[in-house]
Amino acid sequence: MSMTTSTESTISKSEILADGFWHNNTIFAQLLGMCPLLGVTTSAENGFWMGAATVIVLIGSNLVVALVREGIPDHVRIPAYITIIAAFVTMVDLAMNAWMHEMYLVLGLFIPLIVVNCAILGRAEAFASKNSVSDSLVDAIAVGAGFTFALMLLGGVRELLGQGELFGFSVFGADYPDFLLFILPPGAFIALGFILAGVNIINRRMKANAERKAAAEPVASAATSTATEATS
Amino acid sequence: MSKFKIDREQIQMVVALVAVAVVAVLFLGLTDMVTREPIAAAQKEALNRALMQVLPEHSNDPLADGFDMEVNGSPERFFPARDKSGTITCLAWETAAPDGYSGTIRILMGIFPDGVVNAIRITDHRETPGLGDGITKNRPWIDSFIGKRLDTARWAVKKDGGDFDQFTGATITPRAVVKAVKNGLEMFMANKDKLLAMPAAKKSKGEKP
Repeated sequence: MSMTTSTESTISKSEILADGFWHNNTIFAQLLGMCPLLGVTTSAENGFWMGAATVIVLIGSNLVVALVREGIPDHVRIPAYITIIAAFVTMVDLAMNAWMHEMYLVLGLFIPLIVVNCAILGRAEAFASKNSVSDSLVDAIAVGAGFTFALMLLGGVRELLGQGELFGFSVFGADYPDFLLFILPPGAFIALGFILAGVNIINRRMKANAERKAAAEPVASAATSTATEATS
Repeated sequence: MSKFKIDREQIQMVVALVAVAVVAVLFLGLTDMVTREPIAAAQKEALNRALMQVLPEHSNDPLADGFDMEVNGSPERFFPARDKSGTITCLAWETAAPDGYSGTIRILMGIFPDGVVNAIRITDHRETPGLGDGITKNRPWIDSFIGKRLDTARWAVKKDGGDFDQFTGATITPRAVVKAVKNGLEMFMANKDKLLAMPAAKKSKGEKP
């Protein structure tokens, strides 16, 4: 037990956040959870609520798995995690049916299907089973927010191009000829491809900037050292 | 001596899994208890909202006055709109089109006693967004059923020589809906006398007839 606690604090909370939201984003970096991504993102609103349902399940499962990880033998951890995840999914499913009936009808089968979203079992297995409760909570929020962001982005792009609307509000006016392709599943793949290309461009710029910074720093320190040498 | 040795680890596995399952069941039971009534209320409200759209003005509560009757061998639930004297002015019920593009389409019908369509609404479907789901989004199309009767319209999509539009890229969905509405009307005409003779539900206690 003491061994695990010593390895826990090696990553900071901000690193967990950045990693979960961007560098290891479920959609942009890992391409997991494609089924709800392509299935329900016909509008930004659908994407948001699908993401929100996933976030709740993710927070619940990460918390509980981190809490009980010491008590669950290795051999049965997967069925135990799946049971925990399935329980949370069913609770979210019932709650949405009761209090968000219309959105529940829209999202339909995709809510129960959160059980088999490998991103959630992935976080339970790869993170929550090895880290503290508070770190697992931060991880769930970061990964969930990243997933929701990706779903909303894709939903927004498809809604905008497909129907000329965003969150149900007309953007291009009533005359916009609906671009049906983007509402249909193939449009989801095409839009996702362009979004991934954009993400790669941003990542490359970020990397180049970081390298330039790293290259500039030793030069600066070298310059100061020669300056001190000269004065001495 | 048994050759199966049960060690501590195995017991631990069973205990862990059983414990997880029991706690999960407890929470699920609790959630079910809390959400059961709101879910029933939400479904009722959704049905009521749809009923208000397919029925004309009335002085009763169609949802509460709903009655069951066996038609063509299967029990159906009907929701009548009644005037002050209790006469049925319009009848609503749900019918299903089993041959949609993906899965069953459920249609709420509102029919006048003479067999004229007051309005129809789609209550549930799994049709393709942007194509088949025009049956819920395309108002002029849904409204094209208004005022039609079995004998005053050709009940098929235009492609099949009928009076109803199909959508660009989607013929199967409108075809299924038109067919289901037609079947519903035929059922209504065949059982009309029985259905319209259904007396109004008893008034609640305390109220004098």
